[in-house]
Amino acid sequence: MNQRCRKIQEGLLAVALQEATARMRDHVQAHVAVCEACRSELERCRDLDDVMTALKVEPAVAEVGSRDRLRVSLIDLRGRILRYRVFESPLGRICVGRTELGVALVTFLGRARSPRVPGLELMEDGSQEFERLGSELLDYLHGKRAVLDWQLDLRLAKSDFQRTVLETTGRIPYGAVTSYASVARELGRPKATRAVAQALRNNPVSLVVPCHRVIGANGALTGYAGNRVGLKRRILAVEGIPTVTKPGVPRIRRAAMYHHVGHEEAYCVPTCPGLPERSLARITLFATRAHAESCGLSPCRVCRPDTHPIAG
Amino acid sequence: MSQDRFDDLVTVHHGEVFRYLLRVTGRGADADDLSQEVFLRAFKAFGALAEDANVRGWLLTIATNQARNHFRSEGRRKRSYEAVADAGSRESPRGPQDENVRREEREQVAAVIATLPSRQRLAFTLRKFHDLEYRDIGEMLKCSKDTARAHVFQAFRKIRRAVSRSEKNPAEARR
Repeated sequence: MNQRCRKIQEGLLAVALQEATARMRDHVQAHVAVCEACRSELERCRDLDDVMTALKVEPAVAEVGSRDRLRVSLIDLRGRILRYRVFESPLGRICVGRTELGVALVTFLGRARSPRVPGLELMEDGSQEFERLGSELLDYLHGKRAVLDWQLDLRLAKSDFQRTVLETTGRIPYGAVTSYASVARELGRPKATRAVAQALRNNPVSLVVPCHRVIGANGALTGYAGNRVGLKRRILAVEGIPTVTKPGVPRIRRAAMYHHVGHEEAYCVPTCPGLPERSLARITLFATRAHAESCGLSPCRVCRPDTHPIAG
Repeated sequence: MSQDRFDDLVTVHHGEVFRYLLRVTGRGADADDLSQEVFLRAFKAFGALAEDANVRGWLLTIATNQARNHFRSEGRRKRSYEAVADAGSRESPRGPQDENVRREEREQVAAVIATLPSRQRLAFTLRKFHDLEYRDIGEMLKCSKDTARAHVFQAFRKIRRAVSRSEKNPAEARR
């Protein structure tokens, strides 16, 4: 191979790979016309390029099986994706997350920037749907909306029991509170008070399932999301539910709330002689008469909360 | 995000992405795993993709990144060499002489491609088998288009040399 052959190598490759400019092609043609070694090399490179073309059209037999597996994986992934958005609220950062089936996560983030949910694929979502969820949530927190009637996906519940507790808690009306014992009784498991409290402690959809409306049978707020009782108090305040701190233990101001026992049709003032007991195990408390009456309850005929309402 | 749109995307592009990964990894099982990963990643990012984006280029970019991550693992790299050695030693089925020769040639070229350094292998595969522009290959490999072109030419030179060696010494090709 002489000097000229060496110089032409790059061009020769370009011609074989069909990437040469016209000028380069002419140059190579002129050289191979007189140099047999390079002519033969060009032919071989062209043959090799033909082999590539043959390889290019060769179908991969494993492709179809792989695509079928991919489709199955995608179905699985779609079921595991949790799309979420973090909203700033008067009560701090709240994360709302939803799956294909519905809202699965509403949680106060505290100092965290994003939620942690083992087993699910988390993806931040900027879509319109979250705009709606966020504005409804903020309306609720500003006292402008009573109901977050969102389709829920309770898969983050850890057991069927917890799901049942959440469903039952979901029926406690706006502006009312009841006790863990009362929820347990409602479930038909009157001895499961502590289990109910545990189930609500790990409520994956705070606010939407209003676990803040469940308190101790003695009127104390007890826990919220661990020990964030102050947060519970602020949420209750949004719903107009009066609380006091004495002595050091935040509790419901029962004297300022209307009482409703079990499944009776009437509601009473707290001093009604007809009220059977002090414990909240069977009692639901309402912040206002309107809240009680919006649940279909009527004023008690004995204590007449309609004519003698609780004084402000 | 429309689910149907992503299903269409799988239908249209899965084959090419799979073949690309098969070519660069040399192993069906790796191509299967990596192509799954490519599309699962794509699914998660699909919502943020512009309507008029070049979906094919986008998928091949994800595939290239996946392949490069894959090559980074020394163990996998070793397996890929072994797979190449397997491919080289495979007996061709009997058939017309001409077809046999061509098949051997193709297998040999595929085997040599699999032994190229990863950037050359990726660049060469994207260029010769998937007809991508050097500019796009450069973007995928995070180098200039001239560098991408140099990778392709260097790869071709190496393939040519390997084939030429085996022409002179057929036993070597089967090593």
